[in-house]
Parts: sequence; structure tokens; C-alpha cells
Amino acid sequence: MVKFHPMNARSSWLARFSVLAVTVIASPPALAQADFPSRPIDIVTHASPGGGTDATARSMVLGTKLALDVDMAVVPRTGGGGVVAMNYVHSRPRDGHTVLAITPTHLFAIARGQGPIKIDDLVAIARSTDDPIVVMVRSDSPVQTLEDLIELGKERPIKWGTTQIGSVDHVAGATFAQRAGTELSVVPFQGGGEVVTNLMGGSVDAAGLNLTEALDQIQRGDFRALAVMAEERLASIPDVPTTVELGYDVVFSTVRGYLVLKGTPEDRIDILERGMLEGMRQQNFVDYLHGAGLDESSVAGREVWDAQVRRLYDNARQAMIDLGIIRER
Amino acid sequence: MALPGFEYALPVLTDPFVIGLIVVGTIAGVLVGALPGLSSSMAVALLLPFSLYLDPIPAIALLSALYCAGTFGGSITAILINAPGAPPAAATAFDGYPLAVKGEAGRALGISAVASASGGIFSVLVLLFAAPLLARMAYSFGPPEYFALAVFGLSMLSSISGEQPVKNLIGGCFGLLIATVGVDLTTGIERFTFGVPELYDGIHFIPVLIGLFAVTELLSQAQILGQEKISVTVSAVKLPSWADFKRVKNSILRSSAIGTFIGVLPAEGSTMAAMIGYNEAKRWSDKPEEFGTGSIEGIAGPEAANNAATGGSMVPTLALGIPGSATAAVILGGLQVQGLRPGPYLFEEQPGLLYGIFFAMLLSNLLFLGVGLIGAKVFSRISLVPATLLWPTVFALCFVGAYGLEQSLIDVWVMLAAGLIGFGLKRYGFSPAPIIMGLVLGGLVETSLAQSMIIFDQQWTGFLERPISLVFFALALISVLNAPVRGFIRRRRSR
Repeated sequence: MVKFHPMNARSSWLARFSVLAVTVIASPPALAQADFPSRPIDIVTHASPGGGTDATARSMVLGTKLALDVDMAVVPRTGGGGVVAMNYVHSRPRDGHTVLAITPTHLFAIARGQGPIKIDDLVAIARSTDDPIVVMVRSDSPVQTLEDLIELGKERPIKWGTTQIGSVDHVAGATFAQRAGTELSVVPFQGGGEVVTNLMGGSVDAAGLNLTEALDQIQRGDFRALAVMAEERLASIPDVPTTVELGYDVVFSTVRGYLVLKGTPEDRIDILERGMLEGMRQQNFVDYLHGAGLDESSVAGREVWDAQVRRLYDNARQAMIDLGIIRER
Repeated sequence: MALPGFEYALPVLTDPFVIGLIVVGTIAGVLVGALPGLSSSMAVALLLPFSLYLDPIPAIALLSALYCAGTFGGSITAILINAPGAPPAAATAFDGYPLAVKGEAGRALGISAVASASGGIFSVLVLLFAAPLLARMAYSFGPPEYFALAVFGLSMLSSISGEQPVKNLIGGCFGLLIATVGVDLTTGIERFTFGVPELYDGIHFIPVLIGLFAVTELLSQAQILGQEKISVTVSAVKLPSWADFKRVKNSILRSSAIGTFIGVLPAEGSTMAAMIGYNEAKRWSDKPEEFGTGSIEGIAGPEAANNAATGGSMVPTLALGIPGSATAAVILGGLQVQGLRPGPYLFEEQPGLLYGIFFAMLLSNLLFLGVGLIGAKVFSRISLVPATLLWPTVFALCFVGAYGLEQSLIDVWVMLAAGLIGFGLKRYGFSPAPIIMGLVLGGLVETSLAQSMIIFDQQWTGFLERPISLVFFALALISVLNAPVRGFIRRRRSR
């Protein structure tokens, strides 16, 4: 494996050459596809510059554009919970030069029937982050375990801090409450940071936050993590059980990854997948993951990511039907 | 007095490369801030990928210098062409532009530079000495506290400008109404979006600002084009006098404290700080009647406050890892991209980095003071450009600014509509100030009330158990009753 450090500008042309060499040797068919990528690749995000999705995409682009030897741009198309970005990608030719960055927000919008894209139109390329929802309370709360929390909710509704209505943590919390037979009183906030301050300040009893949003508070002992909404435990908080272990099949995670629309040539998707995976193996991206409290297992290729997209979509759709947000069709 | 952490800052202050980056960041920040539609948060975001090639200290020094200077830069265009370069400079236009029209652009720009730098330096010093302590304050501000703070802000609505409180109230309600467009946070229901996805997140602030100020002014100017223009004297490039500074001293101090405080609150940023800074400058002024016609206190008030909010917003960002403003959120992203996790650990494990940031911000504030004062002489010549050349250029700039924000034509239509509405309202004696205030505080007042009611199980008496809320409600009450009570006493005495 050729390893290089993109921060070192002097060696980057050399690195670019060697990556190219590796690509050529490892995959002879790539030669025949010398016409792709023939022009700059656009990564279309739904997020304003500077947010998590934007930062993730920019960090991914740094290594990937060297690996693919092509210029890449992060193109923000904000608004409408991803609908504006999906409209834009839908209007572009399906030639692999326009890539959609997605989060669960997009999948929820698709499940609500918003925008021109259906779930079957999406073809996964690679995942860059996988950031599960962690159920937590303040450490001076009498609630010690997930069962305690469920019991509390049977006495009175749990004040549950979430980001916007219909966001992944809202749907995750509501689904959990429904499966556990407990009751929530949802308090929506503008973003994860506000949920953290309000959980800290005692305005809410509990919250389902991304690990990256509250890792510091958990490690310092300000918050007590009760459960991770995932199938496997997290390396950074190994003592915290998963919801699956505790008998609740509620798996929700803020994932960020890249997709193209159906109709994009297969060989181009392969080239994109290889380039992105190579790009996200670079030190700068690994540093970024560590800075956010995640690790290398966040990155995944087409197969894993495609399956996850569909599972998340099905979960989200079922949850929204159960919660009465959408009707079954 | 020895400054804490000075030994960590020395390598920053003696490295010519870092100093050079701070200079570049400051100048770029002033320029970006000055252009309507290009905000400091956008500029910081655009520089993020570039900063990856730098070490953490130079990278974050560059971003924070840009942040400080960008907040000042917005006031330049607000004063010269009535087009606030960024939302925090909206309140600066209330008095800055009238002063420039009077032919005293240099004086207005000079006051703005000094007030901005003072506010910025004040807040960085607070950050330096009390960040971890102040950060805890952020935790005691939940929705009920924000609601009370917003009510206090709105309590100045009727007296914010002009002589007609009723027109101000109508304008304020109009602003509140615009703020309701988009998805309601607590119910998830769309309001007034008419199926346009671009409106789901609400009407953007910047196009409304450009429309209400710049386009309205353009239309007004077009009406008087035929008239003989009063020749503007050379006084346009004259800087403020010593007496001017003495007069705004108190406004600067008061606004620096207000701005730092509001900056520390995670949900609120420099736009609200500037608004309340303006209100309080007017409330405590000896000459409140001058506000709206070119009062230098009306420039110093918002400018000191919005720059003080830069240092303030870095408090929760660095100490808790919770962004204190939109730009601070981008800088937070910048730290993460560098593999650093802001929060309490940062203070214990990376003091060098922290003090590097503090001194970069301090240096940037000093630098833009220089840029601002020297630049004031140059920039103020813009007000000498004939209206027939200036305003069409401004109009083109308005389109660029509105479109550039998110590359969305919807924003351009919003800008044009806001311009026409603003022009109509101006003809009937309405001022843009209360509309802007309603728009800035509208979302907060509504959301925080809805959140509070959920937290209080729909019992409004819950507010009575929140001491901080009660203090702000009391202040709001005093603020509203002030004028009628004073009038009543005056009438009794004169009898």
C-alpha cells in the first residue's frame, strides 16, 4: 500500500504518480477507462460550508483528488432537508462527475416522498463516517441504566432533547420509546450543541446524541451514556451496552457517505469507489476522524454502505409510519 | 502585569510566517466582510481546506484573524453605501449611513474602527482570563432564559427609531411575520413556504438586509437624481476628533460587556449583540433624539458589541466544544479537521494552541484598527463618487451579494421584493430598524417560548421559577414603562 501524507506538498507529485502507478497495476481495465474522470468531479452537499457534512466532504476530497488525479469541488446546495441538493443532482447527467453526499436527513426526505429521487435510484459508492446515536443522561441523574429510563417514562413523559423534528435523533428516540413502551415529551433544538447545553443545564432529562457531539462530556463524567443505538459496542466507550444487547432492536446512526444515481456506468462507480477509499486512508482523513472522536472503521466501501443505506431507509420509513408522520402506501 | 500563557504565545508572536498569515487573514477579512453577501463564516469555510496544509496554530490563527476582521469589515459598506456587508453590521447602517450622507464618512468609519477594535480586544481579554469560568454560564441559559432575553430585546422596539412608536410596532410585527416563514422547529410543520424547497429553512437574512437597505436607498436616490447635488466637502475624509472618542467612550464600554455576554451564549451571535448594543446606546445616551440621523454613539454601540461577540463566542467554542456563532462553528470544524477536539480537554492539554488563538485574535484586532483608520481616509472617498455612477454599481453588487450566498435565485427575488417593500414603507414614514429587529429576534422569541412550554409541561408559571428569566422580564417591563412613566411625571410637574 502506498502511504503518503498530503500535508507534505513537496512529495505530493511523487505520491500522485505512485498512486496512479498502483491503480494502473492493480486494475488493468482502468486503462481502458482513461476518459473518466475527464473533468472536475462535484460533490453536492446539502449543508452550509463549515458544518459536519461539509468538513467531512472536504477532508475526503483532499486525498481523493490526488488518488483520482482530478480536481474535485464541494458544491453546497442547501435547503429543504436535502431536497434542493437532490433536485440539483437529479438535473445533472449520470456520468459519474456529479456525486451526492447524503446523510439520514436525505433518506427521511425520500421516505416522505419529497424531491424527485426514489430510494431505488440511489447507487452507493463509499461511506465516510458512521456516528451512532448514544442515549445519555446527566451524571447526577437518578437514572443509572436504560431500564431506569424506561421506568421513568412510565411514570411521567421523559423530557427528551433532540435536534429538529424528523431528524435522525428524533426518529431514533421516538422509535425507541415506542418499542420500549415508554413515553417521551420531545423538546427540539437547533442542533446538537444546544442539546448538550440543555442536557447539562437540566432543561431536559435525556437525549440521544451522536457520539462525536458529546464524547468529551461522557469521558469527563458530566454525562452518563446508557446505551449505544448500534449492533456493536463502540471502541471509545467500550463499557456502554448496545440497544441490541439490551433487547431493543433500535439501530440509528448519523452516517455520511457518497452516492450516484442509477444509470451511472458501473466501471465509473468502481473508479470512484477505489479513489474515495484510497483518499480516505490518508493521514489527514484519519486525523479528522480521530478529531471528531471516531476511528477508521467509519470508512466503508460500496457493499457495506449500500446495504446500510437501504436498511436505514427501511427503518426510517417504518418508524415514520409507526409514528404517524407518513402513511403506508 | 504578566499575562497568563504568555510564554506559549511567544513562538506565535515571533514567527514571521504566522504573523504574515494573521496580516493576510485580517486584510482578507476586512475585504470579505465589506462585500455584501460574503460573510466571514463563508470566508472561513472557504479557507478551511487550505488551512489543512498548515500546522494547527497557524491554521487556527488565520481563521480567527479572518473572523475578527470580517466582523469589522461589514460596517464599511453599511456606512458608505447603506448595504451592510454582513448581518451584524445591520444596526451600524441605522446611523452610519446618515452620517456619511451628511458628508462625514471618514468620521463614521473612524468611530467604527475604534469601537470595533475596543470591543474585540475587550472580549479577547475576557476570553484570556475567564473562559472556563464563563463557559459554565452557557449551561444556565435554557429556552426560558433565551425567551426572557429576546423579550427584553424586543422591549425597545417601539422606541428604536423615529418619533412614531406605532409605526415602529407595525414594522416590528412585519419583521416577526417574515421570521415565521419556513419549517417550525417544534412541530416540524412548514409555514408560508408554498412548496418552494429553498424556503424550508426560512427566508435568508442577508437578501432581506440588502433589499431593505441598499435597494431601498437606490430607489430613493433615483427619485432625487434630477436635483442639484449639494457638493460634499473634503470633510468626508476627516477622521473623528478626540472629543468624538470621549463622547462614545461609555457606549463602547457598555457594548463591549453586552457583546461579550451575548457572544458567550451558544445560541446567539453578533447580530443580536449589535442590536441590543444599539438599543442600550440609545437608551443611555444624552441625545437619544440624534439616533437614526447620524449619531456617533449609534455607530459605536453596535460595532463594539458585534466585535465583542467574536471573543465571546469563542468561549463556549473552545471551552465546551459548543459553537457560540455560525463562524465559530466553522472554526470548530477547523479544529476537528486538524485532529483536535475542542472542549475542556483542550484547555488542559493544549495551552499553547489556545494562547496562540488568543494572541492571534488580539493581534488581528490591533491590525484592523490600523487598516480601518488608514483605510477610512481611502474608503470614505467612495461617498464622493457621483450618485449616477455609484448606485448602479451598488445595484449590481446587490445581485451578486444576494445570489452569492447560496447560489439561489430565490434569494435574488427576496432581495428585490424586500427593496420594493422597503421603498414603499419608507415613503410612508416607516424605518427599516424595527423590521430588522423583529426579524432577528422573531425566530428566537417564538422557538424559545415553544420549547419552554414543553419543558414546563405547558404551565407558564414555570417561568416564575427561573431567576434569570425574571430578571430579564423585569428589565423589559422597566424598559416599556420608562417612557410613559417619565411623561406622566413630567406632566404632573408642569401642572
